[in-house]
Amino acid sequence: MTVERIIEATELTKTFPGGIIALDRFSLTVRRGEVVVVIGPSGSGKSTFLGCLNGLEEIDSGSIVIDGIPLDHHRRNRLLIRQEVGMVFQAFNLFPHMTVRENIDLAQVRVRKKTSAEAAGPTMELLKKVGITEKADRYPNELSGGQQQRVAIARALAMSPKVMLFDEATSALDPEMIGEVLEVMRALAAEGMTMVVVTHEMGFAREAGDRVVFMEAGRIVEEGDTERFFGSPREERTKAFLSQIR
Amino acid sequence: MYGNAAARRTALIDAGKFLLVAGIAVWLLSVGVPGLGYHWQWYRVPRFLFSAQGGVWTAGPLLHGLLVTLEISALSLLCTLALGLTTALFRLSASFTARALARSYLELIRNTPLLIQIFFVYFVLSPVLDIGAFASAVLALSLFEGAYAAEILRAGIVSLHRGQWEAAHSLGLNVVDAYRYVILPQAVRRVLPPLTGQAISLVKDSALVSTIAIYDLTMQGQAIVAETFLAFEIWFTVAAIYLVLTLGLSLAVRAMERKMSGTPLVRIGGLA
Repeated sequence: MTVERIIEATELTKTFPGGIIALDRFSLTVRRGEVVVVIGPSGSGKSTFLGCLNGLEEIDSGSIVIDGIPLDHHRRNRLLIRQEVGMVFQAFNLFPHMTVRENIDLAQVRVRKKTSAEAAGPTMELLKKVGITEKADRYPNELSGGQQQRVAIARALAMSPKVMLFDEATSALDPEMIGEVLEVMRALAAEGMTMVVVTHEMGFAREAGDRVVFMEAGRIVEEGDTERFFGSPREERTKAFLSQIR
Repeated sequence: MYGNAAARRTALIDAGKFLLVAGIAVWLLSVGVPGLGYHWQWYRVPRFLFSAQGGVWTAGPLLHGLLVTLEISALSLLCTLALGLTTALFRLSASFTARALARSYLELIRNTPLLIQIFFVYFVLSPVLDIGAFASAVLALSLFEGAYAAEILRAGIVSLHRGQWEAAHSLGLNVVDAYRYVILPQAVRRVLPPLTGQAISLVKDSALVSTIAIYDLTMQGQAIVAETFLAFEIWFTVAAIYLVLTLGLSLAVRAMERKMSGTPLVRIGGLA
């Protein structure tokens, strides 16, 4: 059964200790194959929203359903969803005690229960895809930031996820390395991967995004198809934000 | 930083300083010891280590004691690590019961003297559990050192960046696999130096089990001194054996660290 709406987040609220409201009755639906770009000032709840989608953050109320599976208090559902949702972090979060190959093998072997021989093929395929086959036996700290982030993308893809979440994947990179990571993300979008991308890269949003969501203070200020959103933003707040970021 | 010649000169000066201090210490001893009026009889010591009669070497009481100390230390170390790891995981667990259990154990053990714990295990627990003196010794030592090992391991685990957990979770690894493949390998490497220190403490603390009639190295030393009055010679020898044991342990761990540093420790520490 294919569920057309692969992500259904309804009325999410989340307040951090100290009373900071990260999500305020936030709802968003993502269709299969859609690339949704989430933008907004820092502290607007973008990253918290991504964290909630695979259960890294707990929501206070609301509901999340991913590909028909509700993200509830059942540990099994949570693990199932995490297996179907890949995530790429701002700080890469590669495992520093493992080689590039071992980083990508780990979940295939431990979660998908493949043998290491069965994992080897897909791992090399993925490294080819992100363009760093020659670094397979290096440790993460021997790689540049851009290379590390590409390995992190390959590691997430190794689970063959149905959805990929990108949490400011290029924000920690030196300017000259942003391009190589965006290129991998663009190729992924072109293949039809469902993606939710939190980013400050407006170029990427325009080019690869199907839909843009502008968030502030845990709410959606404005959302719309990419062309319409950038071409004729309706809200004053959106216009102000876009003029600042350019 | 320095040229080769300059480095050599610094090393020479350092060595000189060391020899000077060591020389002063030896001189002080040589001046002071005759004042004791002690009659040194080092020649009587070797027979307590080993004897060679007719080409057959037999271990003396001190070596027998060393063997017991080694056995107790090795067994206790294994139990200490297991107990320490379990307690650390309990303390970090989401379950209130597990956390409370770990907390009570830690507070109880760390706030009472080891000697009392050994007596308690030997005189109170061992009849109940029906275990002998040797098992009591291992149990008491493991309980004591395990509490400290737990805190060391816990520190190592919480020192890791939460991004490591998030990455492990986001890949769909369950808690057990995340600990086993991602968190613990990094945490243990980070705390290997303090963990080694704890192992050394264990070897030294094992001397206290001589109080419950276990003929370890210390107890053998005591027995020999009681018989021969060679207090200085025997206690010096016993101390030297402990020193060799603990230094050996440190060197072994350092070699292990160097072997593991295909992924250099420093770099791992620096990244997260």
